[in-house]
Formats: sequence, structure tokens, C-alpha cells
Amino acid sequence: MPDAIKTLSSQLAQDPDSLVFLRLGELLRQKGQLDTAHRVALTGLERHPHLPDAHDLYARILADKHDYERAFDEWDMALRIAPDHVGALKGLAFLYFKVGDVQQAAAHLEAAQRAAPDDPGVAQALAMARGGGPGGGGAEAGAGGRGTEPLTEPEPIAPAAQPLEEARVFAGLEGAQEGLLLLDASGRVLGGALKDPTGQDVTDAVAAYLAGVSQEAARTVKLLGLGRWTGLAAEGTLGHVHLAPPTSDALLLVVRDRAVPMGRLAIIAQRAALAARRWLEAHA
Amino acid sequence: MTTRAVETWTLEPLVKFVKEAGARLVLVMTSAGQVLAQHGFSRAVDVMSAAALGAAIMASTDEMARELRQPPFAALNHQGERHGIFLAGLATGRGRLVALVVYDLDVSSLGLVQLFFEQLAADLQAASPKDSVPKQVLAADFERQLSDSLNTLFGR
Amino acid sequence: MTAPAAAYGKALDLITRVRGVRGAMLVSAEDGIVVAEQLMEGIKGPAVSALAASLATRLRRAMEAAGVGASLFWHLQAEQGALLVVPTPAGTLVVAVAEPDVNVGLVRLELLRAAEVVG
Repeated sequence: MPDAIKTLSSQLAQDPDSLVFLRLGELLRQKGQLDTAHRVALTGLERHPHLPDAHDLYARILADKHDYERAFDEWDMALRIAPDHVGALKGLAFLYFKVGDVQQAAAHLEAAQRAAPDDPGVAQALAMARGGGPGGGGAEAGAGGRGTEPLTEPEPIAPAAQPLEEARVFAGLEGAQEGLLLLDASGRVLGGALKDPTGQDVTDAVAAYLAGVSQEAARTVKLLGLGRWTGLAAEGTLGHVHLAPPTSDALLLVVRDRAVPMGRLAIIAQRAALAARRWLEAHA
Repeated sequence: MTTRAVETWTLEPLVKFVKEAGARLVLVMTSAGQVLAQHGFSRAVDVMSAAALGAAIMASTDEMARELRQPPFAALNHQGERHGIFLAGLATGRGRLVALVVYDLDVSSLGLVQLFFEQLAADLQAASPKDSVPKQVLAADFERQLSDSLNTLFGR
Repeated sequence: MTAPAAAYGKALDLITRVRGVRGAMLVSAEDGIVVAEQLMEGIKGPAVSALAASLATRLRRAMEAAGVGASLFWHLQAEQGALLVVPTPAGTLVVAVAEPDVNVGLVRLELLRAAEVVG
């Protein structure tokens, strides 16, 4: 394999536009050289931003690095470019499974099976997802991808990491149990959870204050004639928060440390708001 | 916390003000200290004392303004450690009234009280009977009127 | 050490020069009272100051409970406008009222600069 890596690296050096980066990145990922794989995939993606396989490769590497949120983004992007992309469907199935949403995981695997009916790995993963499920001896997907083939490996899998009902609101989103919170209009927690930097659960304390923040935000924009409020972003000395009303009677809070830029936090919040809206509609 | 009014036209504006400004206690009274509406008081004796003291402060500052040859002061604010007291006059069809507002600094602020006081003044002006002449309270009727008012203000 | 009042006007001036900013104010965080203002016509200064201070107080409590520390900057986004605020250590809020599509990064920078002047 080292020879293969050498050969592929040299090919890529000769022709940086070549698609050989896909094989090289995957090889490096399988060897656990994740930082190098990350660089190769990112460079390839810069040159081929509309190539679904490039997004898929990058997502697998991110998933191996436990950056599930960005992995979700990349697989999501791959599916936007190629709605039947089997790798992306499997990857998203893995992420859904990981947060305990067996239903979504199965739905993505079914879509993958329709796109690749002869793929034995998909069939096997689907059988496991349907039969097992979190807590039922189902599949913990190891970080998602062909090398690790999380949902296609036959080995028994530990219960999903976050099987709680609450986690399902934010299925596929990182931080569902420590940095995302969905509340109803009276400040009751509908999903997610919040931990402070010391790891202490602060869900209830924050929820108690948030209803007041949201009411004040709504009153402020109303009295100042600014229309409906759409978000409140704040930088703190230790972290950033983004508050948004996914519906008129719900409130979403996303908290991240200061390393996450405010712009990125807004994107995370948008995605979480979408998930929250879907969840609220489904549970209406 | 209940809001009660002797003169019913004061009730709706007062309820709205209490909600918006986050006021803890409110008295709407005449310059002479006759209470028209109250929010948050639980004892008649407190209403009587607050009304008397509020009216006295207003009278004192009006007099000070007169000494300084200027129109009466619009409002007074005293801020303590946990509470603030806001006292201001307002014009209505029922004559000049005085509002005494006590607010928790945890819940409200002078800015909020001032902001929504403007609205309260406008609402009371709009709701007040236009051609009513302020009733003169005679000494002989005073005790009975006071008693009636307090009964109404405490729902007895 | 706080700046002389003349410096306040200059600091606000720099904020209002940013395209899309409709007004800037210094507000007492505790009282919600206007300290200094430069507002376009139609913007209700006392309302902005009272409401911004109230929201700042509530937000501060929520942020403290969440363990993210004191607020350095916040941005209330609405369909037809935005409120951008930097609290200073001395208890003043530097506030900008802006169009919804204002360059937030630029306003933030000017608010932080003004906050340094105000102290």
C-alpha cells in the first residue's frame, strides 16, 4: 500500500487536476493518515467542487475525524449534486443511525438500495438497521465510510451513541446533546441538551432564561417596527450562541465554543432550525 | 397580582402598562391622593400610605418648580438597590392624575418604565371621560369615599 | 477613565458612517436610558435604548447560565432591520440600528472601537 500511495502521489503531482486524488485520499484514510487525507481531499475538492465523489471522500475523512457536523454537510452536498449517490446515502444513514434515528437511517439505506440494488453491503446494513436499531443490538456505525464500511460490516454494533428521543430532533447534527436546545413558547425543553464548558448539564437553567430573551427580542422588533425577528447571535468571552425561532411558538438555541466563527454558527443554526421545524411538524 | 380600579376606564390601560413595563406596584391617583386604580398592593393600609406619600412628594416638587419659576417637573425617579420608584403626572379628561410606580430592577428599568409610561398617559387620556368635572371631595364625605374606594380596590 | 462627551459624538459618528446604519447610541445598560445618540429621523431613541438594555440584561443571564461568559457583541436580526450591540465593561451599551443587509463585520468593528473610546 505504501507503494500505491507513492505512485498515486506522484501521479497527482504531475497532474494536479487529475481525479487520482480520490483514490489517494481514500488510501490515506484507510491507513489512518487522516491529516494527509484531509489535505488531499480538500485540494481535490477545491479543483472539483461539483464532483459528488470528492464531497463523499471528504465527508468520510471528516467522519473518521469525528467531525460529524461537517461530514453531514459534505454528504448533504454530494446528494444535492447527485441525489442517488450511494456513498452519500450510506454516509447520511450512518450519521442518522449514530444519533439513534433508525427511521431516517433506514430511509437513506432504502434509497441507496434503490440506486444500487446489487450492493450487498447496503442490503446487510438495511437488514441490521431494521432489525436491530439502537439499543436493540443494532449497528454503531464506526466512522462512516468504505474503509470502515460502518453500516455494511456484519460485526455486532454497540447501541447508538444517542438513542434518546430528544436527540432525534437534531438527527445528524453534531452537539445534539450538549450544544443544541429546542424549547416551546413557555420555555419547556422539547429536545436537545446543553452542557457548560465544565461538562455540567445546564439545560434547565438556560431554558428558564431563554423564554424571557425570546419574548424581549419579539417585543423589541415589534416596537421598533423591524418586522419579525429571525435570529439573535451573541459572542461571549467563552463561547458563541445563536438563538432563532424555528416556528412562531418554538425557540432554538445553538451554543458552540469560540473556535466556531459566528457565520458558521449561523449556518449550523439554520440547519438545526430546519430539523426542528420538521420535527415540530411531525409531532404537531 | 391583581389590578383593580375604582374608575373602570383606568383598568385596561393600567393592566397593559403593568404587563409591558414589568411594574411591581402601581397607583393611579388624583393630585390629592384619591386612588383611582391600583396594581399589586395587598393591604389597604399600604395603598393609603403610598397614595398620601406620593401625593405629598408631587405637591412638594410642584412647589419647588414654582419657586424656580418653571413648569412642574414631569417625573421623579428614585433608585434603590433592588427597586426603583417612579412618580409622574399625567393629563386626562378627569384632570391631572399622578402615577406612582414601583419596579424591580431585576425585571424592569427606568427606561422601560418611562417608555411605557408615555403609552399609559396616552391611553388614559384617550380612555378618560371627556367632559367630567373632577369631583371635589368634601371633608364630610371623605371617610366614606375612602372606605368605598378601598373596598373596590381590594375587591370587597 | 471615561472619555469626554465630545468623544462620544465622534465615536457614534464613525458607526453611523457605515452604509446601512440608521443610527447609533450610547445607552446606560442598567437604566436603559440614552446617554448619547445620532439617529436618523423616525428612530425612537428612548424605545431603542430601553429595549436594547432590557434584552441585554436577559441575554446576559442566559449566557451566564450557558457558561459562555459575558457578552462581547450581539446582533438581533429581523426582517426589516437589525440591532447590533457591544456592551462596555463600565456598563454602557454601544448600539447600532441598521438595515437588515448591513455589513455586520464592519459595524461590529466600529462598535468595538467606540466601546474602547467610551470605556
